[in-house]
Amino acid sequence: MSDASRGPAGDAADPRRTRTLRDRVAGGLRGRLLTALALVTSAVLVAAFYYPVGTVLIEAVVVDGVPTLAVFAELLRDPFYFGELARLFAGEPPLAVARGLLSPDRRLGIVGFTAYQAALSTVASVALGLPAAYLLARFEFRGRRTLRSLTIVPFVLPSIMVAVGFVATFGDNGTLNAVLGALGLPPVDLLFTLEAIVIAHAFYNAPLVARVTTAAWESVDASAVETARSLGAGPLRAFYDVVAPQVYPAVLTGAALTFVFTFGTFPIVLALGGFELATVEVFVYRLVRDLNYAEAAALAIVELVISLGVLLAYLRYEARNTVSSRGVRPLPRKSLFPESPSVREVLPRLGLAAYAVVAGLVFVAPIASMVLASVTGGDGALTLDHYRFLIDRQQTGAAFQVRPWPAIRNSLAFASAATLLALPMGVVVAVLTTRRYRGRKLVDAAAMAPLAVSGIVVGLGLLRGLVFGVEIAGWRFAATGAVAIVVAHAVAGYPFVVRTVAPGLEGLDRSLIESARALGASRARVIRDVELPLVWPGVVAGAAFAFAISIGEFTATVVLATGADAYTMPVAIERFIGRRLGPATAMGVVLLVVTGLSFVVIERLGGETRGL
Amino acid sequence: MGSEGAAGGVDDDATDAPPAVELDGVTKRYGDTAAVDDVSLRVREGEFFTLVGPSGCGKTTTLRLIAGFEEPSSGTVRFSGESVAGVPPEDRDVGVVFQNYALFPHMAVGENVGYGLNFADPPEGMRCNERVAELLELVDLPDAADRDPESLSGGQQQRVAMARALAPGPDLLLLDEPMSALDARLRERLRVQVRRIQSELGITTVYVTHDQEEALAISDRVAVMRGGTPEQVAPPRTVYREPSSRFVAEFVGDNNVFAGRITDLDPAESDGAARTAGVDVGGEPLRVAVGGTGDTDVAVGDRLTFCVRPEYLRIDEGESRVRATVASAEFLGETTRVTLDWGGRDLLVRTRDPLSGEVVVGFDPQDAHVIDDRTRVTDDDL
Repeated sequence: MSDASRGPAGDAADPRRTRTLRDRVAGGLRGRLLTALALVTSAVLVAAFYYPVGTVLIEAVVVDGVPTLAVFAELLRDPFYFGELARLFAGEPPLAVARGLLSPDRRLGIVGFTAYQAALSTVASVALGLPAAYLLARFEFRGRRTLRSLTIVPFVLPSIMVAVGFVATFGDNGTLNAVLGALGLPPVDLLFTLEAIVIAHAFYNAPLVARVTTAAWESVDASAVETARSLGAGPLRAFYDVVAPQVYPAVLTGAALTFVFTFGTFPIVLALGGFELATVEVFVYRLVRDLNYAEAAALAIVELVISLGVLLAYLRYEARNTVSSRGVRPLPRKSLFPESPSVREVLPRLGLAAYAVVAGLVFVAPIASMVLASVTGGDGALTLDHYRFLIDRQQTGAAFQVRPWPAIRNSLAFASAATLLALPMGVVVAVLTTRRYRGRKLVDAAAMAPLAVSGIVVGLGLLRGLVFGVEIAGWRFAATGAVAIVVAHAVAGYPFVVRTVAPGLEGLDRSLIESARALGASRARVIRDVELPLVWPGVVAGAAFAFAISIGEFTATVVLATGADAYTMPVAIERFIGRRLGPATAMGVVLLVVTGLSFVVIERLGGETRGL
Repeated sequence: MGSEGAAGGVDDDATDAPPAVELDGVTKRYGDTAAVDDVSLRVREGEFFTLVGPSGCGKTTTLRLIAGFEEPSSGTVRFSGESVAGVPPEDRDVGVVFQNYALFPHMAVGENVGYGLNFADPPEGMRCNERVAELLELVDLPDAADRDPESLSGGQQQRVAMARALAPGPDLLLLDEPMSALDARLRERLRVQVRRIQSELGITTVYVTHDQEEALAISDRVAVMRGGTPEQVAPPRTVYREPSSRFVAEFVGDNNVFAGRITDLDPAESDGAARTAGVDVGGEPLRVAVGGTGDTDVAVGDRLTFCVRPEYLRIDEGESRVRATVASAEFLGETTRVTLDWGGRDLLVRTRDPLSGEVVVGFDPQDAHVIDDRTRVTDDDL
C-alpha cells in the first residue's frame, strides 16, 4: 500500500502515540467544559432559586431560632385554609369529616377552593382543548399551520393583560353585556365569579392541551390504524383501540400541567376574583404584605407539596408511557368541507363549527374587547383619551406614580437580560437531562422545580435574600431590585428553554453524534457543530418563550418591584386597574404590541441562520 | 491474502507485525446479558475483515467497541499492539459509516466530507477543499459538493458517508451494515465499489453485515458470529467449503446437514490421506470422506455430522444415493432450487432442468464435509 494515499494519520504509528497522549489531556479539559457550564448553571439556580426559596420556607419551621412544626400544625387545623379536612388534622374521626364533606354547607377552605377551581379549570381546559386538537390533527384547511402556531400565543400572553381583557369582556360595561343589551337581554355579571376565573384559566391552558394532544395525534402511525381496520375493527373501534391509547397520555400531560399552573394561579385570580375568591397564592401574597412571613411560608410549602406531588406523579406516568415513534406515516387529514353529505361526514364538522363559536368567544373576545375598550370612552364613543392619559402621566406623573415609558423600557431590558441568562442555562440543562446516567431523573426534577414553586415565594426570597443582602464571611452581598428581577425571570423562563430544546436533542440520531466523534470532534465540539445547529429551532422557540415569560411575569416582579422604580408593564397595568379600566386597557394594548413585536424580532434573528 | 489452509475456528497469524486491530478476551455486558462474550480476534494490516451473523449476534457491538463508542466490560482492544482503553472515538483515527449514513442534514455534501478535516490535516500539500474534491472523485460524485444530503439517493448518500469517513485519512475504516437499506442490485454494485476503494487505499477495514452472501463476496476474511462469539474466522472459501460448525454450515449459503453413526471405517493410511467412512443416516448407508481437521480420531460407532452443499447433490449420480420426492421448487434464473422430501427430511438440490415426482440424488464421499459437532450441539440447531 502507498502511504501517500493514506493521509497523514496513517503515516506511521509513532506520531499517533504522542498525539494520543496529548489529545487525552486535551480531551479531559474539553470534557470538563460541560461540567463547568453545569456548575455555573447550578450556582445560578442555587443563588437565584434554591437559596432564596429555602430562606423563606425555613421560616415556616424555625420560629425565633427554634425548630417547630407549630405553624404547620396550626395551619392544617385551621378550617379557614383546609375547610372540613382541617377537622381531620385536628383529630376528629374520619367518618365525621366525611359526613361534613358530603353535607351541602361544607367548607372547602382556601386550599380546598384552590384545588377545586384548579380541577374545574383543568376540566374546562381539556374540554376546550380537545376539539381544537381534533380539528388540527385530523383536518386540512387553509390556515391550519397558522392556527397551530397561534395556539402558543395565549400561553405567553401576560396574564395581567388577559385579566384586563376579561374585565373588558365580562365586566358590567363589558362587550358581552353590550351585545346582550343590544339583543334586548338582561345583563350578566360574571366578574368576581368562579366562572370568570375558570374561563380565564381555560383561555390559557386549553391551547396547551390542544398543542400536546395534536402532537401526539399526529404521531399516530396510519399503518397501525389501517392494520386494526384490516383486522376487522370499525373506524370508532380502531380509534378506541389504536388512536386513543396513544393520544391519552398527551391529554393527561396537558391536564397535569394545567392543574399545576392553575393551582398556583395568581394574577388572574387577583384581578378577576379579588380576595373573596382567593387562592392559596393570593393568600400567600396577602400574608407577605401583612409581614406574616411564617404563615406565608407554611402556606407556600403546602402549595408546593401539592403542586410537586401532581407534577411528580405525572412525570412517573410519563416515564412509563412514553413511546418513541419514529418514521411514522401520519394519518391522512380530511378536508374540512365534507365530500359527501352523509351524517358521518357532516356531524363532526357541525360540532367543530359550534366549537369555533365558543372558541371565538373565549380566545378572541377578551383581546378584541381590550383593544376596543382602550379606544372607547365612558359614553361609548371612540376616543384616544386613554392613550392620552398614558402620555400625560409620562409627562406629569409624580415620582411615586407609575409611568408608562419606564415600564416599557424596564420590561424590554429585563426580558432581554433574562433571555440571555435563561438560554445557556436551559441548553445546558437540556443536554444534561437527555444524557443517560444514574440520577438523571433527580437532575430533571431539581431543574424543573421552578415551574412548581410559588412565584410569590421566589420573589420574597430574592427580595429578602438578594436585595436586602446576605452576609457571607463578613462580606455583604446585595443585588439591586432590577438584578433580582432579571434573575427571577431567567429562573422562571429557563425551564421552557429546556422543554423546547430537550425533545430535539432526544430525537437526534445518535449515529450523527458518533460519526462526528469518529471524525475527530470532541464531545463539546459535537454539541457546537452538530447538536446545536440541529436543535436551533428549539433554541429560538425557547428564547421566544423566555422573553415572553419575562415580559408577562407579574408575580415575582410585583414583590420585587415594590418601592423600587423597577416596575414593568404588567405591574403598571395592575396599578392602573385600580382606578378606571380605560388606562389599563391602553397599557394592555401597548404590552400586546411590544410582546408581539419582540416575538417577530426573535423569530427573525433565529431565522437568519437557516431560514427557520 | 492469507493462506486458505486453516479450516477451523483458529485464526493462525504467522506474521510478526502486530495486527492492526486486536480484540483480546473482550466481553461487553449490558446488565446480565453479554452482547459480546470473550471475543478474541485479530485483524491484519490492510485486510478487509467482515463480521457476519444473525441479528443479536454481537457483531455491531464488536464494531462499536473497536470504534470506541463502547468500552469493554473486560478484555482489551489494541490498535497496532497498543491498548486503546479510555481513548475516546475522536482520538482513535477511525472512519465510521453507519447503516443510515448519518450525514449531517444541516451541512452540504462538501461540508460533510470536509468535517473531519477540522481535526486532522489533509495529506501534505493539499488544501481542505482539494481533499474534499479528491474524495468525492473517489466515490464517483465529483459534482455533489454543494448539494443538500437529503436531495441524494440512498446509494449516493452511502458514498458520501464513505468519502466523509475516509477524508481525514483514518487508520481503520469501520462499516456498520452500510448497504442494508439499499435494494439488491444497487447493493451489489456498491460493494464492488467499496472493495475497489478499500484495495486502492489499502486501508484496514472492518465490515459488519447480516448478509452472508455479501460477506463472502467482499471479504479477505470472515468471522461468523453467534451469541456474542465468533464461531469461525477464516477466508470466505474456507467458511463456505469447510464450515467449522453446524451453525456456520447452515448460516452461510444453502446446505444439507446430515447426522448419523459410523458403521465402518477404512483403515488409516500412513500418509494421512483421506479415508472414507460408512455412515448410517436414518437407515440409509452413506459414504463420507473423513480425515480433515477435527475428525481424525473417529471410530466405528461414533456420531458423525457432515454436510453436502446443494450443488454437490446430483441427479442419478454419486456414490451415495437416496430416493426422494420433489416437495417444492424455486426458479432462480440460472438454476432451480428444489426442495426434496427424503423420509421427512428436507434435501436442497440445485438443478438446471425442472424436476418432478420421485428422483434419485447422490454425492461422492469427497463432496461431503465433516463438521466437528461434538462441542456445540443443542436442540435448536436441528
